[in-house]
Amino acid sequence: MTNPPQPDQVIRAARRAILFDGLPVIVLGGVALALGSSPDQSTAQKALWIAATAAFALAVAWVLLRAFRRADEYLRKVQLESMAVAFAAVLVGLQVATVLDSAGVVPLHQLTQLIVIGGLAIWLVTADLRTRFHR
Amino acid sequence: MKNRLRELRAARRWSQADLAARCHVSRQAINAIETERYDPSLPLAFTIADAFDRTIEEIFLPDRADTTSAPDK
Repeated sequence: MTNPPQPDQVIRAARRAILFDGLPVIVLGGVALALGSSPDQSTAQKALWIAATAAFALAVAWVLLRAFRRADEYLRKVQLESMAVAFAAVLVGLQVATVLDSAGVVPLHQLTQLIVIGGLAIWLVTADLRTRFHR
Repeated sequence: MKNRLRELRAARRWSQADLAARCHVSRQAINAIETERYDPSLPLAFTIADAFDRTIEEIFLPDRADTTSAPDK
């Protein structure tokens, strides 16, 4: 008699994989944010900042793609709903950032990356908590 | 949509994890279907029906009982 795979182990592995994928991406976002924090940058510094930001954006897309491929239909629905929450948070954050930028309080280009990183974190945490507590 | 998953699973002494493994989905998915928080797609409903060797109609029931016997209008 064959032993079927243990779904709990599969779920735990999937959750770990999301964190293993997601945490380096968040760190990369932090690096991109730090690189763009200086208002007076040389051309080389700007190029590095743009490259880091582009790498961050691609990494986010890669994490999302991997997460969706890994999930079954129910987990995919949970992830999509978590993304919707994160998207709403990013929209509100961007609106607030635009107002702050208009008022000259904080430069928009720096806040934007912070908001995107926050949105990614919200997505990861919401998806993780929903799969963890709905047992 | 109501379902008889728990009852059929108990009759076979399968855990949610056992059924999930047979249907190639997560245990959370089976739990969500059992507790009626999630309605499965048609392919998954067929897979579940196959796992129990039943038809979909024998496992999944509409919320309103009168919809099953409603005449064509």
